[in-house]
Amino acid sequence: MKWLDQPAEHYADKLGADAAAGTLPDVVNVSPDLSHPLAAAGMLMNLDKEKAAAAFKDEYTPEAWQGNALPGLAGTYAFPWYLNTGPLFYNKALFRDAGLDPEKPPKTYDELFAAANTMARKSGGRIATLAGTPSVEDFGRYGVRLMNDDATAFTYNEPKGVELLTRYKELYDHGGLDPQALTNTPEKAGQKFLEQKVAMNPGGAHDLETFKKNAPGLYRRLGITDAPNNTGKPNMYVMGLAVNKQSRHKAAAVAFAHYVTNRKNQEAFAHKVAVFPSTRGSLEDPYWTRDDGTDEGRVRVASAKMLKGAVNYTPVVMSDEMKTVLKNEVAKALQGKKSPRQALDDAAAASNRLLKRD
Amino acid sequence: MRRAPAPAVRTHRATSPWLFLLPGLAVVSAFGLYPFLTTVHQAFTDARTLTPGTWVGLDNFRRMLDDEQFWVALRNSGLYVALVVPFTVLLPLLLALLVQKPLKGVAFFRAAFYTPVVASVVVVALIWGWMLDDRGLVNGILRVLGAGPVDFLGDAWLLLLSAMALTVWKGLGYYMVIYLAALGNVPHELHEAAAVDGAGALRRFVGVTVPAVRSTMVLVAALSSVSAFKVFSEVYLLAGPTGGPAGQDTTLVMLVQRTGTGLAGRVGYASALSLVVFVIALLLMLLVLRADRKEDR
Repeated sequence: MKWLDQPAEHYADKLGADAAAGTLPDVVNVSPDLSHPLAAAGMLMNLDKEKAAAAFKDEYTPEAWQGNALPGLAGTYAFPWYLNTGPLFYNKALFRDAGLDPEKPPKTYDELFAAANTMARKSGGRIATLAGTPSVEDFGRYGVRLMNDDATAFTYNEPKGVELLTRYKELYDHGGLDPQALTNTPEKAGQKFLEQKVAMNPGGAHDLETFKKNAPGLYRRLGITDAPNNTGKPNMYVMGLAVNKQSRHKAAAVAFAHYVTNRKNQEAFAHKVAVFPSTRGSLEDPYWTRDDGTDEGRVRVASAKMLKGAVNYTPVVMSDEMKTVLKNEVAKALQGKKSPRQALDDAAAASNRLLKRD
Repeated sequence: MRRAPAPAVRTHRATSPWLFLLPGLAVVSAFGLYPFLTTVHQAFTDARTLTPGTWVGLDNFRRMLDDEQFWVALRNSGLYVALVVPFTVLLPLLLALLVQKPLKGVAFFRAAFYTPVVASVVVVALIWGWMLDDRGLVNGILRVLGAGPVDFLGDAWLLLLSAMALTVWKGLGYYMVIYLAALGNVPHELHEAAAVDGAGALRRFVGVTVPAVRSTMVLVAALSSVSAFKVFSEVYLLAGPTGGPAGQDTTLVMLVQRTGTGLAGRVGYASALSLVVFVIALLLMLLVLRADRKEDR
């Protein structure tokens, strides 16, 4: 067995090059958006159809197994591996300065917009609440239907989506979003939160260490909450291990993918890094249910709780190019160059065109 | 006396040059020629990262005409050439004239001007990003002076201009060195003669220096126009992967990167875009060199 670590950056390109050259490894670490094009090109094993693999199905939570299923391809193409969900960090001092209750962060989008408007008004436009524009996950959590049932067309331009973007536009005009929100990358947004220029920022458990080291002042006033949500279903990221359909060692590959993702190994892995196991019953372990008094423990328990009933909002057929299309059209709406309706119509139309050429 | 037999190497006279060339040719063919020909071929297919694709003729090029992003990118890459090249031709020449004088401590300045060339573009762009941030160094100074804040990184035009300034600044040292070499060949007597005839510094610059280094200026123009047209890193790093607000700062090479990478990458379309970049860059180069020849006549 040869284990090769790959950096996350340009991972998709590396997989693409390997797949095109016929040198895809026997077992591959994939998220559903990566497994979809590979499976569509006939390169991954359909685990539901392979008896030896389907036998393990009950070892994983139904959400996780479902999370690796691919629309239009009738099957699950990866063993569920770790899950993750991000808390939303906020700056209690900035909340207090704006006259907002630092112990009651916004839970719904209504509350978020209200808090952000107050923040902008009270700080004289100096402090923005968010550093980024709404992502596809925001549309999902707001309750917008993102795609039709067979995942052949985007539907985020329905009235609910237009409503969300219209409200973001008002927020942007009132200084609720960072002036550079249209171009901020997640790294830049994180940096602005670190510099206490924005009041809220999504992140992960691993960010706590960064805060502690680089911004102890912020760390002392750090609030941790869930991302605002109108659906009651938080967002989660799912990772999986897929088996190469053309593998010459199929039985060994299935056995190895299962071995890495079995309960014992997933739990051991999740004790070492800030991720969550996708095996049935794992999250009932006290490690993920009992707050041990540390901040890490608090984030861990809160995130584990969120994972129950969480879904992966990002449609698996949505390529990076389609995400860019949405981001750029959202930016045009925020700039006032297009109406929110027009911008979302255009984004959906352009993405559907890209989808059809698959 | 018996003549010695002809050396064995003679019999290989026809093949030996090729044998010497072979290693170089192999490398060029494998890493230059073959990828180029593949790109040309794929430009006429609907290939994707994971599927080889079928022949679609001129479809990709027709699609380009309807692609709003393509026109934005073409405009930006064109503007990059139009605004960056004059500065990279002129400023390094002035800089070279400054540091050419054998003054005390001039070596320090020569090295200092060259430093940005050695620095990684990623590092330099990150530093510029921090400086131009709405609460960065530049806006801090502007605020002290009672101006600003200027939204360098939030406004599409300012972003593009900032990236251009970065490109010019980073290239100064490189072209300065080329000019220094050329200036060293300008006969000193010409300057002296002009000075005796009463020409001032400006007159000598226009009348003596510029004509003497004109072919170098053309070389710099040709080099910098091709690299300005193919700009990627500066804009990508300052404007972000989406190409600035609403993608308004996307350049052609950024568009190639965006459409052609990832598992769902449209390799056929990206190849067609690359071909367009190649042809325009080639035309630019020929145009500059032709202008030089015309002046020679």
